[in-house]
Amino acid sequence: MLLIISIKNVSSIKNNNMTKEDILQQVNEVFIDVLDNEDIKLNNETTAEDIEEWDSLSHIQLVVAIEKHFKIRFKSSEIQSWKNVGEMIDCIETKIITA
Amino acid sequence: MLFNSFEFLIFFIIIFFLYWLAAKNSLKYQNIILLFGGYVFYGWSDWRLLSYLIVASAINFYLGIYIEKSSNPKYKQWLLYLGMLQGIGGLAFFKYFNFFIISFKDTFHQFGIDFNISTLNLLVPIGISFFTFKTISYLLDINKRKMNACKDCVVFFTYVSFFPTILSGPIDRANKFIPQLEKRREFKYEKATDGIRQIFWGLFKKVVVADYLSTMTNDIFKGYTHYNSITLLAGAVVYAVEIYADFSGYSDMAIGIGRLLGFEVTPNFNYPFFADNIAEFWRRWHISLTSWLTEYVFTPLSIFFRDYGELGVIISIIINFIICGIWHGANWTFVLWGLFHGLYFIPLIIKGTFNKKKKLVKDNLLPTLKQIFNISGTFMLVSLTLVLFRANTISEAFEYYKGIFVLNFTNPAEFLQYHYKNALLIMILFLVSDWVRVKLKFPNTVRLIFYMFAGVLILASIGSQSSFIYFQF
Repeated sequence: MLLIISIKNVSSIKNNNMTKEDILQQVNEVFIDVLDNEDIKLNNETTAEDIEEWDSLSHIQLVVAIEKHFKIRFKSSEIQSWKNVGEMIDCIETKIITA
Repeated sequence: MLFNSFEFLIFFIIIFFLYWLAAKNSLKYQNIILLFGGYVFYGWSDWRLLSYLIVASAINFYLGIYIEKSSNPKYKQWLLYLGMLQGIGGLAFFKYFNFFIISFKDTFHQFGIDFNISTLNLLVPIGISFFTFKTISYLLDINKRKMNACKDCVVFFTYVSFFPTILSGPIDRANKFIPQLEKRREFKYEKATDGIRQIFWGLFKKVVVADYLSTMTNDIFKGYTHYNSITLLAGAVVYAVEIYADFSGYSDMAIGIGRLLGFEVTPNFNYPFFADNIAEFWRRWHISLTSWLTEYVFTPLSIFFRDYGELGVIISIIINFIICGIWHGANWTFVLWGLFHGLYFIPLIIKGTFNKKKKLVKDNLLPTLKQIFNISGTFMLVSLTLVLFRANTISEAFEYYKGIFVLNFTNPAEFLQYHYKNALLIMILFLVSDWVRVKLKFPNTVRLIFYMFAGVLILASIGSQSSFIYFQF
């Protein structure tokens, strides 16, 4: 599954002009792939409480998939500080800009 | 002071009326009564115990404020380390010091080197494992900006010493509990009756179910060399149900007492024996501890090892469960018990079925064959591993296992002798009643009859006051 995600990456990212909406949309796709649920519709306020498949283990799988997708690397403290999807998107955005 | 004692009843009646009558309109007095009551309750058996509790509360109170205030990240980090040192150091000293010394001496003794270090005769602060976890996660949450430091020392000291939960949990998180202490509680009739029901049910589980089952398990675990395989297996299974009835009964009472005072204490059990795999079991067993470990041990570790894929998850879960084991006490039996549970996760991680949150299906009253197979398999695995939890030494546990697995069926009806058949019947009825409670909602009259029946049984068994298993941890 991760392989498919990384193939998809080539065409879809490495564009530093991405808006937050673009990032959200791509993150949404990663969630759908990793959690294997087509119905996931993320917004900035979404938390793990809202998505049944999103628990402590799949969280790590999501983080790894997002890092691969955007070709970025989070710090442990960053990963643990997110309160919702919006904060994660903010963090991704700063990483892409500085990349 | 035990919840199932007469002195607690008197203590609680006094606190209850002071709290709801004298301090009805004042948040400040409500908290002061809880704090004062908490210290009386905690120091009842030995007032010297209070000194550590108060010192630990004070240190963490000020550290919380300074961690939040500090703008220098390095300084912040050091303050956090200081807090961890106080919490983990306190635990290590009081609970594990003698264990370290003995293990150290034993290891060197095997190489022919003998050290003359003596162990200490320590007065271990009861409940230390529970309230220390509360203060550790409090500081970590402030450091991660997940909550603000508490500025009111009465509120914070009351949080640490909240008497319904101080001895054996549930481990309430500061970000859920401190806000409740910062708001004046109003007496709500429905919440209070709900609390009484829960206390009642908890008392029933403890004094009727757990105490009766313990008469059988005490026999079997004491004289395990004299019994056949079936009896030993029955002993392990009954012990699993006993510890569940004992600890979840205690938790129910703590939650109910909390409700009577207007609080929502975090839940601890969710029908763990109906879990159909080990991951599911741990989502339902001692929930306040496992969710704590998941957040502060497993998650940081698995993030740290995230580049190693499944192996990283396996390493994280094994470390997590070894810590879970040693948290219960200073004995290699607990370490091994934790290690085994960590290992049980490996097939689930490899199969990828670990991360499926499941809800108990309410539809069919009778379980399907597959459900029966998975639920009883998980239950047997948990029960057999609990032999380690109960045994005094690892070799004793393995002798017990040998007794089960080196098949010996002499006198096959042995497990039904004396009062054992009653204990087995109580165990089965208790599990069936739990199953029915999940599946059906009873009309009030049926519940009332049940409560009256339970009340008679409680009164019949209340003569003996036995301690709770989890008080030792």
